[in-house]
Amino acid sequence: MNRLRNLLPNTLSYLWSGWGALASLLLFCAVWELVGEYYGDLILPGPLEVIGQLKLMFNSGIAGPELIISGRRTLYGLFLALAVGSLLGMLAGFSMTTSMLARPLITLLLGMPPIAWLVLAMLWFGLGDATPVFTVFIACLPIVFAGAMQGTRTLDNHLKAVAQVYRLPWHMRLTDIYLPHLASYLFPAWITALGTSWKVVVMAELLSTSDGVGAALAVSRAQLDTSTTLAWVVAVLGVLLATEYLLLEPIKRHLERWRVGVSQ
Amino acid sequence: MSALQIRNLQHKYALTEVLSNINLDLAAGETLALVGPSGCGKSTLLHIIAGLLTPSEAVIKNDFRGTACMFQEPRLLPWKTAEDNITLGLKALHVPKQACRQQAQNIAKTLGLTADDLNKYPHELSGGMQSRIALGRALIIKPDLLLLDEPFSALDIGLKLELYRLLRQHITERGSSVLMITHDLMEAVRLADRIVMMIPEPGRLIGEFTLQQSHAERSETWIYQTTAKLMANDRIRIGFGLAEGSLNLTEHLHTQHSGCSI
Repeated sequence: MNRLRNLLPNTLSYLWSGWGALASLLLFCAVWELVGEYYGDLILPGPLEVIGQLKLMFNSGIAGPELIISGRRTLYGLFLALAVGSLLGMLAGFSMTTSMLARPLITLLLGMPPIAWLVLAMLWFGLGDATPVFTVFIACLPIVFAGAMQGTRTLDNHLKAVAQVYRLPWHMRLTDIYLPHLASYLFPAWITALGTSWKVVVMAELLSTSDGVGAALAVSRAQLDTSTTLAWVVAVLGVLLATEYLLLEPIKRHLERWRVGVSQ
Repeated sequence: MSALQIRNLQHKYALTEVLSNINLDLAAGETLALVGPSGCGKSTLLHIIAGLLTPSEAVIKNDFRGTACMFQEPRLLPWKTAEDNITLGLKALHVPKQACRQQAQNIAKTLGLTADDLNKYPHELSGGMQSRIALGRALIIKPDLLLLDEPFSALDIGLKLELYRLLRQHITERGSSVLMITHDLMEAVRLADRIVMMIPEPGRLIGEFTLQQSHAERSETWIYQTTAKLMANDRIRIGFGLAEGSLNLTEHLHTQHSGCSI
């Protein structure tokens, strides 16, 4: 009951905090418009024209299916990376030895350019769905893995002692001690992985597939159509912003409501 | 018949010997206070008894079934409400949720916590409230053995006395044994049946004092006088570094408690 009572003010305060984000986005659009007017439509069409173009693409049924195809590939790769990365990262974090062994591998994987993975994936999987999915997976994996490992390693020893003294069974240690602590490390890692996944999927599609947003971008580039190119970019960024602020951020706030000043 | 028996306990951190030849008995229903200066190995000994550390060498016989521990800090889980923190041990024992909730509400009443406090997260509560919750978490599982690692040392005197009263009440009702460590002699005199003195480098037990006055008859005057008498004792003075001198350790090597009575 108490929680329900808190839900409304928390939701309203979250929505209200959206004004700040909106102001910042509109400011960006204003600068974009300004630069666009200086260079002309061929080089940089303004935000209104790009949004008009995007609307046109949605109305004519071009944008929807391509976004769905790219979204599906992103989700497959991302979910795989989140599941495998979180699990393996946690397991690695439980032991000092595995953490030490894993650290240089993470640096190695994080440093490997996604384009290199893409070339390898094209050689291994050909020009199908598997190539972008694999590239997304392998690009996001080390980010999530590092977050999960770091979270597991940094759990306060005092709380571990509490779990031991009160003889918490393993599943309670996981759900009541480790996961709530881990969430504050995993969520930022998941959000970074989400951003990376869209970047990588568009790049992978541009080079390896005949459908999806990346492939559509390749076509618009060939036609020197700047406004369509920007419309695709805006569409991808819109999906990204919506996923982060309408899905992940509210979940994060809900899970971390115990933190001091989290609703500010 | 003692319910906890420790013989020849030695413990080393790497090459440093922190506990040497510890022999200790704790009977059922007894409250034992381990006193000693900071860094003498009291906490290490308590952690060994709590099962948080494995000693380098020891013969330990522990017949107590339920053990609860209160640490120096409240150590509440920050992501759980006060109620969920209190019922942590019950949940681990697979007690149904409704029963947990009922028991939490009962114990909250005796601890002076309101229903509103139970719904709060630890960061929304004062230090005193957090200590009450930590005490509630320990008492709710009705432990046979309660281990106290100086949990009251950072509290103000009023709150301390209140928590002492709650603790004594529980001990009397349940007949639990308590092993408490403290560097505050008056706290030991107030709560314990027996006081064991410990000195550092390496941690050893050097003397034992039995308090024969029943808890009901312990007045403030008696507590002050007894603490003053203990403070005048050579072993305690030397142990706390208040006086120069050396201690004859052979007296405490046998296992029976034959220390001076007060």
